[in-house]
Parts: sequence; C-alpha cells; structure tokens
Amino acid sequence: MNAFGLIQIGLILLCTTTISSLQCNHLPLQQRKVIENSLQLLDKMGKKFPQQCLREKMSFRFPEQVLKPRQKETVKVAIEEIFQHIFYIFSKNLTLAAWDGTALEQFQNGLYQQIEQLEACVIKKQTHYFWSKEVNRLKLNKYFKKIDCFLKDKQHNLCSWEISRAEMRRCLQLIDKVIRKL
Amino acid sequence: AQIGPPGIELQSTNGVIKVKVSPPEGNQVRKMWVDHLSFKYNLVIWENSSNAEFRSETIFPTDIIDDLAPDTTYCLKVQATLPLYSLEGLFSPIRCVKTTHKVNDLLCAKNVSVLSLNMKFHLHWNNQYKQHVSYNVQYLIGYLKKLHDDYSVKWLNVPGCENITDTQCNFSSIITTILGFYYLRVQAVSEYNRSCLSNEVKVDPLITNEIGPPGVKVDISDVLLHIQITPPGGSESEVMRDHYDLSYRVLYWKNSSNNEEEIKMKELKQTIGTVSDLTPSTLYCLKVQAFSEVYNKSSHYSKEECITTPGEQMLSLIILATFVTALVAVLLVAMPFVFVLYQAYNKIKYAFFPSCQPPLNIEGFGGQRFSSPCLSTTEEPIENCSIIETIITEEVDQIDFKDYKHSKQSSRDSGNYSNDDDTSGTKVSEETLEKEVV
Repeated sequence: MNAFGLIQIGLILLCTTTISSLQCNHLPLQQRKVIENSLQLLDKMGKKFPQQCLREKMSFRFPEQVLKPRQKETVKVAIEEIFQHIFYIFSKNLTLAAWDGTALEQFQNGLYQQIEQLEACVIKKQTHYFWSKEVNRLKLNKYFKKIDCFLKDKQHNLCSWEISRAEMRRCLQLIDKVIRKL
Repeated sequence: AQIGPPGIELQSTNGVIKVKVSPPEGNQVRKMWVDHLSFKYNLVIWENSSNAEFRSETIFPTDIIDDLAPDTTYCLKVQATLPLYSLEGLFSPIRCVKTTHKVNDLLCAKNVSVLSLNMKFHLHWNNQYKQHVSYNVQYLIGYLKKLHDDYSVKWLNVPGCENITDTQCNFSSIITTILGFYYLRVQAVSEYNRSCLSNEVKVDPLITNEIGPPGVKVDISDVLLHIQITPPGGSESEVMRDHYDLSYRVLYWKNSSNNEEEIKMKELKQTIGTVSDLTPSTLYCLKVQAFSEVYNKSSHYSKEECITTPGEQMLSLIILATFVTALVAVLLVAMPFVFVLYQAYNKIKYAFFPSCQPPLNIEGFGGQRFSSPCLSTTEEPIENCSIIETIITEEVDQIDFKDYKHSKQSSRDSGNYSNDDDTSGTKVSEETLEKEVV
C-alpha cells in the first residue's frame, strides 16, 4: 500500500473518530447507572441462593484479563459484548426459575438500551476491528458458551438458573469496578 | 467466518410492508453463531424501476416499512450483521412485492408526539374523525422488539388512558426504568367497534425528557449575595439530579437605567452559592438555569430575582441602629436588676446599721455616743422598789377588827411591802390570802 492510500485511511478513521464521539458524553455516567441498577435488579429478581443448589455449583472462570486490555477503547467493546451475552442468556426459558417478572423485564430493558447506545457511540470500524482480533474475545465466548451449555444440560431448572444468576452478578461487579476506574 | 443469509417473510397490507426475518442458520442444530440475538439486520429497499434509489435501514426481526408509495412494486434484500466484530453477512435473495392501496382512515390518531417535563411524560395526538371516538393508549417495553418472538401480543394498556376521549395521555406511571426504551401507540375505536392503530413513538426517557427551570431565592448580607436554588422536578428532582448530574448556571447583572451593563455568569454544582465583588447601593438581578453537561440539555431560565446591595451610609446607619438597640436592650434588662439590688442593700443597711438619731436632750449622756442598737438584746437591770407602810398598821391594832380589815383592804392595793412585824404580818398575810381568793 502506498503512502497516499495510508493517509486516506488515516483521515477517514480520524473523521469517524471525531464524529462518533460527539453525542456520547452521557455514556460513562449512564453505564455506571445501568450496572448499579442491574445489580440491584438481579438481587430483586429472586430470593437468597437456595442451599440445595450449592452441591451443583460450577466454576466458570470468567476471563478477567479481557477487561484489562492494552487499549482503553477495547474495554468498551468488551463490555458491549458481555452485555450482549448476558442479554441472550436471560432471554431463555425462565419459567422454572420463577423470578419476579417485572424485575427481569427491567433488567433486560436496561441491558438492551446500553447495548444500543454502545453500538451507536463506540468508534465503529477501527476498534471493532481490533476487538475481532483480540485473543481474549475467544476466551469470553467460551465462558458464556459454558454457561449456556450448563443451562441446557440442566434443562433450565431452578438450580441452574440460580447458579447462573450468581455468576452474572459476579461478572457485573467486575465490570462495575473497571468502569469506575475509567 | 462468514455469516449466512437470513430468511425473510413479507406481507403487504394497507400501503406498508411487514417484514419478518429469521436468523441465519435458522433451525440448525449445530450453530456457529449461537447468540442470534446479537445480529442486527440491514434492509436495502428500492423501487422496481430504472434509476431507483437504494434505501438502507436497520430493522428489527419483526418490523414494518412504511413511508412507501402505494400501488408500487418494491424490491428488497436483508443481511445479518454483527456490529461488534464489524462483520457483515451475505444478503438474502432479492424479494419483490407490490404495495397495496393506502386507505386514509380518518379514525386513526395522527401526529402522535411526546412532551415531557421534569420526568412527567405526556402523549399528544390529533383527531380527525367527525363522529364519536374513544382511545386506548398502549405501550411496549423496548427490548421485546429485539427478540424473535412475536411481540404484537405484548402491548399493554397504559393505566388511566383506557377508553378515553381526550387526545392526550399521561403515561409517566409506566416508565419504571429510566434506563430503557419504550414504544407507545394510540388505538382509536369508533362507535361500531372498528379500530385503528396509530404510528409508534419511541421514548428514551432521559433523552426525551426536558429539564424544567429551577426555583431561586436571594439574600443579601454586606457585599455578598447568597443564592439558594430549588432543583427542578419537585418529587422527581432526586431522579433527575442522579441521572443527569445537574449543574446550575447563574446569570447576574446590574439593573440600571443604562442597559449596557455586562452580564456575568457563574456556574454552580451545588444548590447554594455566593456572589461577591458587588458594588454597594446597586440593584442586582439574577436568573438561574439548570443544565446537564453530559446530556447536553439545559432548562429555561428561572424568574428574575432582584435585590439591592446595601450602601456605605446605610451600613453605618445599620451599625448605629444595631448598637442603640443593643444598648436599650441591655439597659432594660439591667435596670430592674440594679433596682432590686439597691432595695436589698437598703433593707440590709436598715436592719444591721440603723441610721436612727437619738433626741437632742439625751445627747451626750454619760459622754457616750448612742451606738447601742435600738433593738435591745439584754434586759436593762430593773431596780427593786419597795413601799414601806409602817404608820397605818399601828393604828389598826387599837381600832375594831372590822375597821382594821376595811382600812387594810383599802390601803393594800399595789406593790410589795416588807414584813417588819411578824405577828401583824401573819394576820396581814391571812387577809392578803383572803383578798386574793376573792
């Protein structure tokens, strides 16, 4: 690729950067609020963790290094992906969990809004491109796939849901810590 | 990794096209893209004529394409994308469909819009129907559109806006999460139970909402102006403060006849603030605006509040007045106290140190000054005086006993008398006893 071509790409990326970041000042504040809310709603959804489910507890091992990448911008995309995964998990068959429907709706609604905002606000091409090459992204996918399979194997029974809920809570708390440092 | 083409189902009704998209890999058992909810669908549509313009828009799995010309053939194709990885999938095969005739139903509510102030949300619409019509306002929780399930059954009625004739509705009660989208629509029902659904309106509470003006009170002390701001929203003020991270902008200026005074600005993060560097004896006016920097929203300005700074003469007058008042107050309190003390002192002095003067004729008696107290504590020695009646008793012995008795009685009326004569004394004592008994 010649120098002129590189300059062109550079200029385009610069323009996209400037334009994309303009209307999104409220995002950090909103994100902190959504996570705060989501944690409260997760607690509100159901009761205390049932004792009988302790036997079935699984260790999923969330890949924490995904939240500590070299580039700060990549963290935002990582959070976006985590939200999408959580949104997907909680859209499954929840009848056996017998949780508070309103709290669940509010939880999903908040997550969905964040996903939409992040998609609109985060610098599109460049960061997403870097993210697609990120090694930790695959570890993250594997983590959520494990939870998904666990739920399927247990046929979405109460204990599997309660364990997943506790795991998601831990996940959101980690994100909360990271966001506060940003 | 490549994303396959999605499946599409089309339905042409009433001048619009209803699209239903099924995710790529559809009902495959083993999927590459497990999380099909992450897909965003990109629709490309154009008129089936030469030199047609392509239109591209993002659609939900179940969506409606309106703003199309009636009785026209349109062709479209859909692709699934994963924005997260900047991946675009393959397009579905092109499908063409003809739009039907659009019936302009006057029954339907038109120009549905949202007005929101201080987290109170109102829906407004227009009525073009000549006959009687009642409305049901319905809402849908935003995320349901993202799912592939049929959300048409998930619309709920807004409480308080069922079967109404008014063309407005307060739907604040359904906004349970400030963070989240909601969709609203109006169902118009005629007398003959014919109904029509209006267009949908999307509400993002924090973006849609407008911040109202704050309240302001001013107070003056010396050359400092004290500003007290009441945050906007009343009962919802905490919610707004929390989510908007509100700050306040104060504009103040000298209100003189010369209108070319410079307007100064001060930004406050708290609801109290002070303005210094004021000139004395001047009328200052100010107004306050609430704003959210992160959301790029600001309210209207509050009412103007004006106050005059005290002048220098005024200041000394105030000081003098304060001093005099204090002095009077102190005197009022001190005077009765002093009076009481004085009275007490007098009483004590009278009791213990009398100032009674002796009469002039006794003055200098024995060369002594009359320093002894009036109230005598010891008895003065009283001289024992005795009356001696010797002559009367001798005469009585010679006279009759009766006469003796009589004279004795008459002469014996006071004082003690000595008993010189024993015999006569005993007789006398007998008579004394007699008299005393009588």
